[in-house]
Amino acid sequence: MPIPITIADDSALSRKTIRRALPPQWDVSICEASNGKEAITAVKHGLAEVLFLDLQMPEMDGYQVLTYLKQHHEKAVVIVISADIQTQAQAMVSALGAFRFLKKPLDPALLAQTLKELGLI
Amino acid sequence: MKGQFLSDEQQDALQEVLNISMGQAADALARLIQTQVQLSIPAVIQSSSDHFIGLLLQPAPHQIAQQSFLGELNGEMIALMTEQGNEAIARLMHYDSPMVEQDKQELQLELTNILAGACLHGLISQLNFKIQLAAPVLLNPASLHASRLNWQQALLMEVQFQIPEFNFYARILICLKQESLWPLTQHLNLLLL
Repeated sequence: MPIPITIADDSALSRKTIRRALPPQWDVSICEASNGKEAITAVKHGLAEVLFLDLQMPEMDGYQVLTYLKQHHEKAVVIVISADIQTQAQAMVSALGAFRFLKKPLDPALLAQTLKELGLI
Repeated sequence: MKGQFLSDEQQDALQEVLNISMGQAADALARLIQTQVQLSIPAVIQSSSDHFIGLLLQPAPHQIAQQSFLGELNGEMIALMTEQGNEAIARLMHYDSPMVEQDKQELQLELTNILAGACLHGLISQLNFKIQLAAPVLLNPASLHASRLNWQQALLMEVQFQIPEFNFYARILICLKQESLWPLTQHLNLLLL
């Protein structure tokens, strides 16, 4: 059974970049979300065992998504992939329950290593 | 006015490239002053020189620095900051207070280098361009006039940085001349393949 994952980012280019960086051997079914609300809908529908989450998004940003998931005890493994790379942003998402913080531009080797460390591949 | 020179896909790609660039710029400033910097969503618009000058005229006392670049892309960068905000940054960077005029100018150029320089560097490195950067110079807002700019239409990219608790506010405008649009779209298309 493929693992349901969701890529939440308002940029189509960024979603494509993440999609391409996924290890080819990883058996996944991919859902895409272009804002935080769609990301939460995907989690609620069981489409995001793993959620790749951008921080700056319209409607609802990544921090709000993390806050919602925490309050509602949703069990998605959230990996933040962000252009805002300040240490304060990294600390904040980690406090909100994100498993990892990866910087844009995304390094595919680092993504693969992260997935390995989390026991996902 | 949207960036009509660009398709929707190209516009999205350029905005994402700018997002990453401004993230790197904010990180550089945040490390220097140990304070979190807020980022805007970058804007990409088509601009006439008159419209551009209008953007530079602001009510609050502010300082403007300009930095030209040329090479595979031609254009200029403008950094606008408020005097009040810069004074707060100066205190964080241990400048003498009150600041003498020379320190004010030095700080404005330093912040321009950090913010605008990192934005432009991020842009050209992600898009794989080579450019040369002139030294930044300070502009007198009162002397600004469209006839001093040697272009009519340009692609304008704008990003903003804020530190609300210090009333720090910086606007960075990257202005690409029309002849640079063709190479820009070609390099954006490579990202979209």
